[in-house]
Amino acid sequence: MSSEDDELQQTNTEERFDFRKEEASAVTSGKGLDEDTIRLISEDKDEPDWMLERRLRALEQYHELPMPDDWPGAPDLSGLDIEEIVPYIRPDVEARDATDDWDDLPEDIQDTFDKLGIPEAEKKALSGVGAQYESEVVYQNMQEQWEEKGVIFCNMDEAVQEHEEIVKEYFMTKCVPPSDNKFAALHGAVWSGGSFVYVPEDVTVQMPVQAYFRMNSEGMGQFEHTLIIAEAGSEVHYIEGCSAPKYAAHNLHSGGVEVFVKEDAHVQYSTVQNWSKNTFNLNTKRAIAEKGGRMEWVSGSMGSKATMLYPSTILKGKGASDNHITIAFAGEGQDIDTGAKVYHNAPNTKSTVESKSISKDGGRTNYRGLVHIADGAENSSTAVECDALMFDNESTSDTMPYMEIEESKVDVAHEATVGKIGDEDVFYLQSRGLDDDDAKQMIVSGFIEPITEELPIEYAVELNRLIELEMEGSLG
Amino acid sequence: MRTQLHTAVDESTVRQISEELGEPEWLLETRLEALDALEELDMPDVIRTPGRTWTNLYDLDYESFVDPLNAAEEKDQEGPDEIEVLSIAEAVEQLPDVLEEHFGSVVDPQENYLTALSTALFSTGTVIYVPEEVDAEDVAIRTRMNSSSLFNYTLVVTEKSSSVTILERQSTGDADVEGERYYSGIVEVAAGENSHVQYGALQNLDDDTYNYTLKRADAGTYSTVSFIDGNLGSRLTKTEVSTELNGDGAETKIVGAFFGRDDQHFDLDSKVWHRAEHTTADLVMRGVVDDVARSVYEGVQDVGSMAWDTNSYQRENTLMLSDESEADASPKLIINNHDTEASHSATVGQVDQEDLFYMTSRGVDPKAARDMLVEGFFVPVLEEVEVEELRNDIQELISKRLDE
Repeated sequence: MSSEDDELQQTNTEERFDFRKEEASAVTSGKGLDEDTIRLISEDKDEPDWMLERRLRALEQYHELPMPDDWPGAPDLSGLDIEEIVPYIRPDVEARDATDDWDDLPEDIQDTFDKLGIPEAEKKALSGVGAQYESEVVYQNMQEQWEEKGVIFCNMDEAVQEHEEIVKEYFMTKCVPPSDNKFAALHGAVWSGGSFVYVPEDVTVQMPVQAYFRMNSEGMGQFEHTLIIAEAGSEVHYIEGCSAPKYAAHNLHSGGVEVFVKEDAHVQYSTVQNWSKNTFNLNTKRAIAEKGGRMEWVSGSMGSKATMLYPSTILKGKGASDNHITIAFAGEGQDIDTGAKVYHNAPNTKSTVESKSISKDGGRTNYRGLVHIADGAENSSTAVECDALMFDNESTSDTMPYMEIEESKVDVAHEATVGKIGDEDVFYLQSRGLDDDDAKQMIVSGFIEPITEELPIEYAVELNRLIELEMEGSLG
Repeated sequence: MRTQLHTAVDESTVRQISEELGEPEWLLETRLEALDALEELDMPDVIRTPGRTWTNLYDLDYESFVDPLNAAEEKDQEGPDEIEVLSIAEAVEQLPDVLEEHFGSVVDPQENYLTALSTALFSTGTVIYVPEEVDAEDVAIRTRMNSSSLFNYTLVVTEKSSSVTILERQSTGDADVEGERYYSGIVEVAAGENSHVQYGALQNLDDDTYNYTLKRADAGTYSTVSFIDGNLGSRLTKTEVSTELNGDGAETKIVGAFFGRDDQHFDLDSKVWHRAEHTTADLVMRGVVDDVARSVYEGVQDVGSMAWDTNSYQRENTLMLSDESEADASPKLIINNHDTEASHSATVGQVDQEDLFYMTSRGVDPKAARDMLVEGFFVPVLEEVEVEELRNDIQELISKRLDE
C-alpha cells in the first residue's frame, strides 16, 4: 500500500464526515411540498416549460402513490415527515453554474470538500469530479482529453439547458418514470442537481468520474438526479459518495439514477453511502442494458437511519449482463433494507448478485431482491449469493429474495447464509495477542474481502476504514 | 372481504352443522364468531411484487361451490387400539376436554378468511389422541370427496414421550359432481414433551378442485415433528405447512414434493418459527412443473430473539419440463438471534442437457431418459420420507404422471 493510502487510512474519518458548516443559502424553498414550491424551484433554475410540466405531473403522482410501508418487514418510515423537509436550498455561490476551480468556491464549501478529500482524489485518480452542496452542484470539472473525445460530464441542471433534446428524451421517461414509486415521484417533482454523463460511441473513459453529494443543512432533502448514457461500445465508471453531518431533525435523500447501457457498452456505478444517522435514504436506481451491454452496481451502504435501495437492471438486449455487489452495515438504530432487482427480458442474459451484510448493536439489515426471467429469455442464468454476519442478539438480519421464472431454459440459483461471528475465530485471534475489537475487525474484513477485492483500491480503503469506525462504535 | 357467501352460509347453516355433530356450546360459539369475522378478514397472504401477484385468491367464486349442508365423502379412519382415532362427533362425546383444550390453539380460527370459513363450516374430521408413552404406527386417514365442497378438520394430540405416524390421503370419489369444487382442510398438531409425530399427506384431488390446506404444529420441549406433504392434484392449491418450535430442543422437518401439469397452480408455503432454545429445522421442497402449470413457493425461517443456539436450513428446487410452465420462489430468513446457523438455497432449472445426452447416447430413448431424470430429481425428497408406504405412493403417482 502506498504512503498516500496510509495517509488516507490515518485521517480521522469521523472528523471528515461529521463536521457541519453555518447554513448559508441564496434561495431556500421553505418546508413542505406544494405546487408553489415546485414552481419556485423550476423558476429559480430558469427551466424550460416541459420540465416544469414533468415536475408538476410527478407531484400529482406523488400524492396518489402509497407509502412503501406495507411490504413485509419494511423499514419504519413513520419518523419521516415530508412536510417538514426543506426540498430545495441553493447555496450562496456567486456563479450560478458550477465552477471548475475549487478556489472560486466560498471558503466554507471549499473547506468541506477539502476535508472530504475530494480535490486530492481528483488529482490522483479521476477523470472528472462533480461536487454537490445542498441542492446544487457547485464544482464540476473534467480532464480536457475526455472533453475532446466528446464525453460530457456536467451537472444535471446545466444539461437541461445545454443538452435539452437528449435530456428531454431520457429524463424519467423510459427508465425510472415518476410513477414507479412514491419516492421516485417525489424525486421527479423536486429534483435538483446531480450529474449528466454522456459517453460517445467506442470511447473508453479510463479513469472513473466521481460525484460527491453533501447535505449540510438540518432538515433538508437532497434529490439529485444522475443520468448516464453510454453509447455503443463505450465504457465508463461512475463513482458517487455521499455524506452529511448529524442533526436531530431528519434529513431525506431521495436520489434518482438512470443508466442507459447501449450495445456492448460497459458501465460501472459505484456508491459508498455514508449519510448521517438521521437521514432517510430512499433511492431509485435503474439501468437498461441493450444487446451485449454490461452493467455493474457496487454499493456500500454504511450510513443513514433507514435505507431502501434496490438498484435494478433491465437486461433488454440479447447477451446483456449484470453484476451486483452490495455491502450493508447496520449499527445502532439503523435499518438498511437493500438488495438488487434484475429483469431478464432477452435471451442469453446473465446476472450475478453478491451481497454481504453485517448487523451490530441493534441494527437491522435486510436483503430484498427480485430476479425476474421473462418468457422467451432462453439460456439466461442468474446466481444470487447473500451472506450475513450478526454481532449480537439485539441485531436483526433478514433475507427476502423473490424469484419469478417464466422461462424453462434457464439456470437459477439462490443461496444465503446467516451466522454469528465465530467465538472460536475470535478466541484464536485473541490467543495470538489481538484484543477483542481488533479480532472482530479482522474477521469482518475477511468476511467482506471477496467484495472489497473487486473495488478500486481507494474505495476498498475507504470502506474498510468506515467499517473499522463502525466497529469502534465511534461514529454516530 | 366480500360478502358473497350469504346465500349458502348463514347462522342457521352453522347451527345445523354443529347440532348434527352434537357439539358443545363453546364450539358452536367459536364457529359463530368465525362466521361473524368473515367480513373483516383477508385472504391468506400471497406474495406480490411490482406487476405480479403470485397467486390470485380473490377471483375464486366461492358461492358457486360452497354447499356445506350437502357435504359428502367416503372416509376411512383407522389406527391401533392403544390410541384414539375418532370422528368429530365421537370426539365430542369421548374426548371433550382434549378437544376443548386444543381446538384452535395452534391455528387461530380467525387467522384469515379461509380458516374462518373452514372453522364455521367444517362438518367432518378426525381427532387423534396418543396417550403418554404410547408408540403408534399406521394411523391412516383416507378422504374421498364426493360433493362440491368439503371442510375437513384434523387434530393430533400427542402426550409426553409418545409417538405416532399418520398418513393422510385426499382424493376425489366417484360421485358425479358438476362443476368446480372446493376442499378446505385445517390440521392442528399439538406435540407434547418428548413426543414424536410424523404426519404424511398426499393430496390427489381432481382437476376441478380448489384446495386450501393449513397444517401447523406446536412442537413442545424435545419433541420432533416431521411433515411430508405431497401435492399432485387440484386445479389450484394454496397450502401452508408450518411448525412453531415452542419448546426447548424441539425439532422439525418439513418435506414437500409436487408435480404440476396442465394449468395447475400450486402455491406452497413452508414455515418455521424458532421460539425456544436449541431448536432445529430442516425444510426441503422439490417439485416439477410441466405444460402451463405454475408453482409458487414461499419458505420462511423465523428465528425469534429468545431462540438461542438455533440451526435452521432450507432447500428448494424446481424443475421446469415445458417452455410454458412458470416457477416463482421466495425463501426467506428472518433472524433475530445471532446465535444461529441458518442457510437457505433455491434453484430453478430444466433437465440437465448433458445428463440427457449421456443417457440417450447409451441407447435410452429420450422420453424414457427424461422420465428417469425426473424420477431421480425427486430422490433426495423421497429419501426424507421414512414411511415406506407413503414413499411408494408418491413414487407411483410420479411415474404415473410421467406416463400420462
